[in-house]
Amino acid sequence: MDINLLKKLIKVVETSDITDFSVQEGDLKVRISKRQANSAPVYTQPVVQEVASVQTTPAKQVEKDQESAKPAQEAPAANDKHYEVKSPIVGTFYRAPSPDADPYIQVGDKVSSGNVLCIVEAMKLMNEIESDVAGKVVKILVENGKPVEYNQPLFIIEKE
Amino acid sequence: MKTIDKKSFNHEDFYLKLDTDVIGRNFVEVDEIDSTNAFLLKTNDYNQNGTVILADYQTAGRGRREREWISAKELNLTFSVLLNNNLDKVNVNLLILGSALAVAQALENLYQLNVELKWPNDVLVKRKKICGILLESSAKGSKLDKLVIGFGINVNQVNFPGKYNITPTSVKSEFKSTVERERLLAEILNNLEAIFIELVKTPEKVLDAWRDRCKMLGEKIKIEDDGKARFGIFDNIDQNGFILLKTPEGREKVHIGDVSIR
Repeated sequence: MDINLLKKLIKVVETSDITDFSVQEGDLKVRISKRQANSAPVYTQPVVQEVASVQTTPAKQVEKDQESAKPAQEAPAANDKHYEVKSPIVGTFYRAPSPDADPYIQVGDKVSSGNVLCIVEAMKLMNEIESDVAGKVVKILVENGKPVEYNQPLFIIEKE
Repeated sequence: MKTIDKKSFNHEDFYLKLDTDVIGRNFVEVDEIDSTNAFLLKTNDYNQNGTVILADYQTAGRGRREREWISAKELNLTFSVLLNNNLDKVNVNLLILGSALAVAQALENLYQLNVELKWPNDVLVKRKKICGILLESSAKGSKLDKLVIGFGINVNQVNFPGKYNITPTSVKSEFKSTVERERLLAEILNNLEAIFIELVKTPEKVLDAWRDRCKMLGEKIKIEDDGKARFGIFDNIDQNGFILLKTPEGREKVHIGDVSIR
């Protein structure tokens, strides 16, 4: 489905008195519902999860709520700290300078600004990508030797 | 290898022939260095756009994926060009093709050699390699901030002991005479600057000039990378310089690999 169409639908629900709205297009089913207390529209997926958690025992539910409340509060902070390094060119991603060399970095490594993270090669341009932040490598998003697109995220670095 | 051909590089002769505004205006010659590309990429001592560093001898000259580039002392041209300005104004991929074109045009103009370009930027004469080029850049995060173009040109060396992926040749071997390295370097830099300007204005002209010199277009080729081989017909290069390979399954875009005639 066209994302713009989806945005339009949300807008329609938002600005109207409709509290529940669903539409089906082929295999894709979209349901937009609006709670009275909170005027922001909610997608189907979270609603289903809420229903699932209601089915668990009350005690567990409290536990779960607390658990899920914690990450939810931490999530925005973590996302602020999580920095994505993206590819400046279309090419092939290499984690090491040559086939038998050690990778520049591993998950868990600390990097500072200027440390080389990887090489992206296109045609005969070897492009070394340096970190522009200091922090810890939390995720390497691309496998060695795989093609990458322009602006494709390569690493997630947790900023210091 | 006659020692008589060994001659130190004369800066005055070089500057007389250099006709650029930017490239080569800051010219540095070093006796011995590991790699001119690595030096320009790592140092912060030379930040002037267009700086050229020429090495009489490279102890760790290299090509793609750290393949060795061996070159005799004072007979050849091993140099790198630093570009760190206006990089966002050109398609960097086309600069890869353009750098080979700069060398090809110089060899044609000065020595009337019949030059052939092999994708993306090997310069061949009679199917033998006369020049290899390696571009390296560094990106701070997601933005390119430095680009160096490293050239290794076999000039006055005539013996090439050892094993090579592609048989080497040199200007002297083909032109049958010792040539002036100063003049050749100046001519290449003159061409390179003109090509850079053309890439900003009308990149299609650079692509066409490259296509004119590529004998593999329309041929059945093999593209090898990392032990894998692709086969097809070299249909064309697209506006990014990538190979358009015609295969029974359709047209495939290839941006990496060693190309050879099947």
